[in-house]
Amino acid sequence: MKALILVGGFGTRLRPLTLSFPKPLVDFANKPMILHQIEALKAVGVDEVVLAINYQPEVMLNFLKDFEAKLEIKITCSQETEPMGTAGPLALARDKLVDGSGEPFFVLNSDVISEYPLREMIEFHKAHGGEASIMVTKVDEPSKYGVVVMEETTGKVEKFVEKPKLYVGNKINAGIYLLNPSVLDKIELRPTSIEKETFPKIAAAQGLYAMVLPGFWMDIGQPKDYITGLRLYLDSLRKKSPGKLTTGAHIVGNVLVDETAKIGEGCLIGPDVAIGPGCVVESGVRLSRCTVMRGVRIKKHACVSSSIIGWHSTVGQWARIENMTILGEDVHVGDEIYTNGGVVLPHKEIKSNILKPEIVM
Amino acid sequence: MVSSMDEKVVAVIMVGGPTKGTRFRPLSLNIPKPLFPIAGQPMVHHPISACKRIPNLAQIYLVGFYEEREFALYVSAISNELKVPVRYLREDKPHGSAGGLYHFRNLIMEDDPSHIFLLNCDVCCSFPLPEMLEAHRKYGGIGTLLVIKVSPESASQFGELVADPVTNELLHYTEKPETFVSDRINCGVYVFTPDIFTAIRDVSSQTKDTGKSATLRRVSSVEALQPATRNSTDFVRLDQDILSPLAGKKQLYTYETMDFWEQIKSPGMSLRCSELYLSQFRLTSPQVLASGDGTKSAIVTGDVFIHPSAKVHPTAKIGPNVSISANARVGPGVRLISCIILDDVEIMENAVVTNAIVGWKSSIGRWSRAEGVYNSKLGVTILGDSVAVEDEVVVTSSIVLPNKTLNVSVQDEIIL
Repeated sequence: MKALILVGGFGTRLRPLTLSFPKPLVDFANKPMILHQIEALKAVGVDEVVLAINYQPEVMLNFLKDFEAKLEIKITCSQETEPMGTAGPLALARDKLVDGSGEPFFVLNSDVISEYPLREMIEFHKAHGGEASIMVTKVDEPSKYGVVVMEETTGKVEKFVEKPKLYVGNKINAGIYLLNPSVLDKIELRPTSIEKETFPKIAAAQGLYAMVLPGFWMDIGQPKDYITGLRLYLDSLRKKSPGKLTTGAHIVGNVLVDETAKIGEGCLIGPDVAIGPGCVVESGVRLSRCTVMRGVRIKKHACVSSSIIGWHSTVGQWARIENMTILGEDVHVGDEIYTNGGVVLPHKEIKSNILKPEIVM
Repeated sequence: MVSSMDEKVVAVIMVGGPTKGTRFRPLSLNIPKPLFPIAGQPMVHHPISACKRIPNLAQIYLVGFYEEREFALYVSAISNELKVPVRYLREDKPHGSAGGLYHFRNLIMEDDPSHIFLLNCDVCCSFPLPEMLEAHRKYGGIGTLLVIKVSPESASQFGELVADPVTNELLHYTEKPETFVSDRINCGVYVFTPDIFTAIRDVSSQTKDTGKSATLRRVSSVEALQPATRNSTDFVRLDQDILSPLAGKKQLYTYETMDFWEQIKSPGMSLRCSELYLSQFRLTSPQVLASGDGTKSAIVTGDVFIHPSAKVHPTAKIGPNVSISANARVGPGVRLISCIILDDVEIMENAVVTNAIVGWKSSIGRWSRAEGVYNSKLGVTILGDSVAVEDEVVVTSSIVLPNKTLNVSVQDEIIL
């Protein structure tokens, strides 16, 4: 089986993290974002994944060679020379997706994190026999998104309504599709929107069905949602494979610590914390609701909450980092410094307090 | 006695590295700061072409931390263009401003130079190098510094020094003092005899003996963790470790310039320095500047540089202080004042750009306005590469990182 992951553009919303790595390679829960998706696809028998990208293919390709070898799955890139929208990339990658077997192929949006119930989706797709299946997820504020209006029992999709002013439904497009190769005949090789052009056509022909995504869903393309997403992910990990979480007297709630990370005495870690490879957390440190990326050192007595600490950064002794502070790669926060929502670009030293949210270039 | 006709001179230009100079962001995110265009030429071009005026110049070295490949193309092109060998040398680790010079001493001395110029790449001035060399020969010391008089209020940002008014000897030097010492400051341009290498070696062996730096300083835990470069023999700073101790010992002298001098530390300064160099072109090579009266080509007022491949509509009005780079397209009715327009930018009809820097491949929509305000919090407006400002949008005193589209007006904001 084949799959296409829509990686797209520059990931500007996840800056400053994406100033150091292309978005799919930014770590989430101690693993590059895209690896979560590739692993889920491999688990249901996908043997080739095509990445639709339009940015920094050389950086991506190097990493992908590593994943290809470790996971034993073929990974190729389909490069857009101009932005192709949400459907155009499928037409562009046509030759790689159609192998003559007639099997459907998956399409995933790279910003999305969820439980990836892909096996159930395959069953659902076979059962209804339609041309296309789409995952939808229930949200509290549907008008922020595109709402999928569907028949509750069969899941047959009637129409899409973009940012509706009046309530038409509370299910939105979760960005996970399973499509028959015939769908590619309906997509022209030009910038195209899958929601505005392709799906409405298939829905009109009664061929589009929606499955409600069980479990969590999050678009982690921006820092605030990234932090919430980690909480949802770790919650789900607690239910499915609690052995992967870290336990101990110094751990509160759901915490993921890489086996090569070191944690000192007298710390209190959690809830909702991910600590990446090679990190050193010295004694007396408090961490909550935060992500600590590879190679970070957090010095004694520091306190970090609701923040993201980028690769190879250091947090000084007694420093306090909170309220959506995002430190880019190689940022060094001095001893005793307080940062409240500072967004710091890579390769900086912070020697004075950041009292209210601001960008430090 | 060797006549001055046979004495060769080598120039070394310190260009820094990607993790230094974060003040030059966002312009330095996608291009090394030394290659950023000022008055139509890469920043480092100005000191390099000034070096060309030194008699018997044998070689120019650019020393920095950037990857070799970032400078490879430039160095080969400029060597060809100016017919003088320019070579980029990459430092493997920080050696300090004097340590870097010392680290490459063997290469520098290969040409057996009698004098060595040391310049900082981000200095904007008239580079009176032949005059400095002549003065240095008369003084007979081991080094001569270029100095300039500035306002007392601004002096503390730099290295302040005191010179003997008669002999021009450097009597006292102190870096960024808290209290007022002098209104003469160090311009970052020096000429040395090869004795400087001995002086640097002596300093570093001294610190090795005492095992600590000259001043007592609280070492933060971040610094304590860095590999001990700061206290090793490899790391020597020119200002604190050479100039300060040697002042008053009849070894160092000063040469004062009465022309302009600025440091290009921030993007806003690059605009100001572009203006200074453009007005210098007016005096030294006016054929480089553009002119026009609106009939066959656009109206040009003041000092303006337009690259030959740029297309500017005749109904546009350009200047003063505008630099337009290769392949840029300026549409009908556009007004450009005090700005730098980089390669491949497209400016559509009736737009206005003033006190701004517009990054490579960006586009400015019809009737839109990009405006900077010098004294405001963010200063001049900077648009990174490939930024699209849509029609009728106003961007004021804001900094926009590459690859963004602005469809609403913004003011005093950084757009990541």
